[in-house]
Amino acid sequence: MDFENAKAQMRKGVLEFCILSILSKNDAYATDILNALKKSELIVVEGTLYPLLSRQKNAGLLSYRWEESPQGPPRKYYALTDKGRDVLKELESSWKDLIEAVDSIIHRN
Amino acid sequence: MKKTFSVNLGNRVYNIDDDAYVRLREYLDRIESYFSDEKEREDIINDIEMRLSELFSERLSANRQVITLDDVADAIRIMGDPSEIGGAKGKGEPYRSYERYGTHRRLYRDPDTRVLGGVCGGLGAYLDVDPVIIRIILVVLFFAFGVGLLVYLIMWIVVPEARTTAQKLEMRGDPVNASNIGNFFKEEFDSVKKSFKRKK
Repeated sequence: MDFENAKAQMRKGVLEFCILSILSKNDAYATDILNALKKSELIVVEGTLYPLLSRQKNAGLLSYRWEESPQGPPRKYYALTDKGRDVLKELESSWKDLIEAVDSIIHRN
Repeated sequence: MKKTFSVNLGNRVYNIDDDAYVRLREYLDRIESYFSDEKEREDIINDIEMRLSELFSERLSANRQVITLDDVADAIRIMGDPSEIGGAKGKGEPYRSYERYGTHRRLYRDPDTRVLGGVCGGLGAYLDVDPVIIRIILVVLFFAFGVGLLVYLIMWIVVPEARTTAQKLEMRGDPVNASNIGNFFKEEFDSVKKSFKRKK
């Protein structure tokens, strides 16, 4: 069995969940999201973020707007859409279920 | 001394060393090759270019105005290998094989072996045939059917000249990367040295 792939898939799912969660607190541009993810050591290389953002945007979970920045060119700020909020709620509840389920199996013996 | 290019990266203008440019170009091309969906690809490349631009701007200052190969290598380390970026999509194989950079050739006119417009030299590099043979064929075609000259003139007009190092490598079918550019310059240097010696 390909454990590396299983790990990567798991990480990817969690990462999508976390991106939505970060954006539910504040609108943010890519580097803000990166910093939050890096602080919790969820992301290894920065590049992995962008395909996820693009896919979530195309799935209608995120929207973006351009905003002037204090230095440099304008930044692309991402925000959750209503649909994104619904998906986040679903993910949160399935996350809790998952943790409880896995916990109960691990601690049974 | 190095030649520099000026590039627009995420709406900012940067001066970038020749070798650093080639490395960065290759990196972005490889990322692009991982995404088949055009809309997605455009988004991702734009976002990544914006981020690279930010990373570079943090490193540059009034005393340090040119992006070097080291800067590019560090930025690529931070961004990650294209396979990891593309892998996030759950797709193992790149959309266009990376091999093409190793074997893919493009037809250019070769200014280094030119007699007239460099068409035969470029064709020779493309087909891996000595340009002299192509010249002979063209001359024969000219006398036999009278089309050789026309073909030559059309190609002279249509085929671009290989001006940069990257284009010259592409013309020969060598992969465009930093070490090859190094070799290329070394060869050039050796050939200049030789011809200099001969003249003495």
